[in-house]
Amino acid sequence: MAKVTQILNQIQSGDVAAASDLLPLVYEEMRRLARHKMKSEAAGQTLQPTALVHEAYMRLVGSEDIPQWDNRGHFFTAAAEAMRRILIENARRRHSLKRGGDRERYEIAEDDAIIDFNNAEELLDLNDALTKFADIEPEMAKLVELRYFAGLSVDESAKALGISPRTVKRNWAFARAWLGRELNVDEDR
Amino acid sequence: MTVASEKTIFFQALEIVCLEERTKFVQQACKDDAQMHAAVSALLRENDRKENPIDRPVAAAILPTMLSTGSGELTDPRFSPGAMVGPYQLMERIGEGGFGWVFVAQQQSPVQRRAALKIIKPGMESREVIARFEAERQAIALMDHPNIARVFDAGVTESAQPYFVMELVRGVPLTDFCNSNRLSIPKRLQLFVTICHAVQHAHQKGIIHRDLKPSNILVTLQDGHPLAKVIDFGVAKAIGQSLTVKTIYTRFTSMVGTPAYMSPEQAAMSTDDVDTRSDIYSLGVLLYELLTGSTPFAPDRLQTAGFDELRRIIREEEPPRPSTRLSTLNDDETRTSNVNRLGPPTTPSTAMKRDLDWIVMKALHKDRNRRYSTAGALAEDILRFLQDQPVEARPPSSWYRFTTFARRNKVAISTFSLVAIALILGTATSLWQAREAIRERDEKEVALAEAREAEVAANAARSELENFNDRLNSTTVLLAAGRANADAQRWPDAYEAYSEATQVLPRFFLVWLERGGLNAKLGRWEAAADDFAKAVEIGFPIEQAELNGVPQILLYAGRSNAYETLQQRLRQSDAEVPFAVAARGQLVGSVSSDGATELAEQMEQVLAKTVDSDANSESLTKRQRYAKIYYGVNLYIAGWAHLKAGNHEQALQRLEASNDANWFGRGIAKPLIAIAHHRMGNAEDAVHSFEESQAFLDRLLDESIERSKGSPFMPWIDWIEFLIHHREASIVVKGHTPAADPRFQRLQGFADAAIDG
Repeated sequence: MAKVTQILNQIQSGDVAAASDLLPLVYEEMRRLARHKMKSEAAGQTLQPTALVHEAYMRLVGSEDIPQWDNRGHFFTAAAEAMRRILIENARRRHSLKRGGDRERYEIAEDDAIIDFNNAEELLDLNDALTKFADIEPEMAKLVELRYFAGLSVDESAKALGISPRTVKRNWAFARAWLGRELNVDEDR
Repeated sequence: MTVASEKTIFFQALEIVCLEERTKFVQQACKDDAQMHAAVSALLRENDRKENPIDRPVAAAILPTMLSTGSGELTDPRFSPGAMVGPYQLMERIGEGGFGWVFVAQQQSPVQRRAALKIIKPGMESREVIARFEAERQAIALMDHPNIARVFDAGVTESAQPYFVMELVRGVPLTDFCNSNRLSIPKRLQLFVTICHAVQHAHQKGIIHRDLKPSNILVTLQDGHPLAKVIDFGVAKAIGQSLTVKTIYTRFTSMVGTPAYMSPEQAAMSTDDVDTRSDIYSLGVLLYELLTGSTPFAPDRLQTAGFDELRRIIREEEPPRPSTRLSTLNDDETRTSNVNRLGPPTTPSTAMKRDLDWIVMKALHKDRNRRYSTAGALAEDILRFLQDQPVEARPPSSWYRFTTFARRNKVAISTFSLVAIALILGTATSLWQAREAIRERDEKEVALAEAREAEVAANAARSELENFNDRLNSTTVLLAAGRANADAQRWPDAYEAYSEATQVLPRFFLVWLERGGLNAKLGRWEAAADDFAKAVEIGFPIEQAELNGVPQILLYAGRSNAYETLQQRLRQSDAEVPFAVAARGQLVGSVSSDGATELAEQMEQVLAKTVDSDANSESLTKRQRYAKIYYGVNLYIAGWAHLKAGNHEQALQRLEASNDANWFGRGIAKPLIAIAHHRMGNAEDAVHSFEESQAFLDRLLDESIERSKGSPFMPWIDWIEFLIHHREASIVVKGHTPAADPRFQRLQGFADAAIDG
């Protein structure tokens, strides 16, 4: 687990390439945590991505030497993306199962069956919209990931992205409106 | 390119508050570009829309990982008749329950006998189940009662599934028996009493059943008399978690029973906290069902309720009394339910019916302290009823009804707060747990052990959260009591309630903020500063309205660390804080002159908005009067900000206006005026103004002493700011801090006396 701390330190000291090593580690850990949660929690319980992300942080980095926020920022960016992947993979799986329609075979390996959403399609739509948005405004899309998938607050996101809370709010307003427009496209015409 | 400019126009348009102007602006900015105009308008419309998919962080619901695969489970070749399980040969299968199958089994050695063998379905931690069973085994062996089926043995199959061997009871579930034999109410009650005695016996041996329901109470006919036998004693505990609402919920589909028999404390999922009184509740449900033909909460309703709703119903809803339930059952229901099968029409008199109602409702009480303390007491009360004697269960008094109401609300309140706190606390607990888990893993490095550790950690975290929930419940009540007492000026009671809250939940910032507020209000600055410093140390959401005046107190009492921490947070957070709170909090500190200028400008805007209402003071609406009250404060804040910004002329104008306006803190600008004069070089005016400030202080102090109060009649934030300003003015104008004034000591004495009762 010291590996993550090491990578974070590398990034800190300017090694940008190290960032790409971070995501797989974070992703694996979060998947593992989610799986554990699934086994120990009951159906209908809500899985809090925020809690999961923080737990992953504690497991991977620990709190012994409380690192600085810009350091943590890289972690949370990776964690938000990992969370997004996990949830989307799951939504896709659920979605395709639903489409398969064969209820008798509606059986899911325990490892896989992590999460269900009230509406997997809604999440998949949002995911598509967000991907599109990232082409135009990559930084703002990252902000959405941080806030929506990792549950970071305005202040926390500001620190993670190294921008002011005011800018976060402005950008958030735009991202929100842009995604809303993208998703509500049929509704208002 | 288009996007860049749509973004720019969007941002610019957002700056324009007036809708009309905004529309005009967009039109102008987009000129002939209709497409752009549509795009920006859509963005703005989305911006105004209240709901947006990304407004809340995603939260994923957990679904059962193993969805029912229909009949697949019914045929497991390993457990077909003839198969051997340990020394037992399986014969016919007689049942399938939530956690397993039940077989008739032939035991070959050491004695030949038939027994019931219950195999636990895969998916449970077998070794743990057996270990828990072993722990209970001695106690179970002590049970010897004609109405309890004996548990002989427990073991693990080759496929690692735990099983239990019990006395074979050839009977039918309690409710089925009563209905098909059309037992009269007295007969039902007599049978029920024997069940109570059985449960009482087990309780005396320290065994709690935890899963009493009709299918666990089998009735046979012995010599023509019905004989009830409670089965599965001790099994529930061994299977452990299986009786919390969560697991039952996951097993809805395959469950024989429903959560209908579950006590509120079980529904609260506090597994550690289930005691004999939980069984009393389940007995109450059974009795209810025996009398009315249905459980207090309809099973189908519980089955369709969501997870949280299910818990809420069991924990909060008061079921209708049995007699009410009977009389309100509509005809349809009456025909189909077993009520019409109650046997001989033995309609009990109204008084008797009421007695039965009381007995049932006492057993079913949400607060287990108000239930029958033992199953034996329940049995005795039923016997008293059967003998026409007054029952022990009394109708609830109105006071008692009121407390029930309060309790219900408390649950609602705490559920709400819990959601808010969950993030803070959940993270904290999981951090700690996670660290523990990592340490453990490093020590052992066994994959299996790791998995178990994580599970234990999860359980510990859960129980910690449950404890927290309990503490939060009492804290919420204590805070409410504190506020109510403070409103009624019963200071000692208020102080005591707050203090107790700080002991129950010392890591909750609000308890410190609230007690600090009371201390400040009474004039106990030091105590208030201690409390506030504590809250700052714990950390809290900066947008708390309770924050008003906190920086001032910390500064005045010299708590510079806490003060700095708080200031830093106030500076960083840029909007959610109520503006006046933030402004005063910043001004009291070392705000930069740029910062002060910005504040002053914002205040001027606020003032400009309210100034119209000042025009015809004759016909002020209530709202305008409020605006006027704030107008005075706002003048003062604006003047203060101007002063800090170095804008002395404007400062003077605003501050003097604030002294003329009608508001609670009128007059507290006096020391600031002295400072303004001094800065402008008007030494004489400065000294004169300072003398006015001193006179004002004298008046406030003397008045307070006359009233034997610890603080003058003015909001404490105004009072503390005045003291801070006066001290500063003394240094600026006179060149020294004010001389120690013995009157402050007297005020302090009054303040301390206020909470001593």
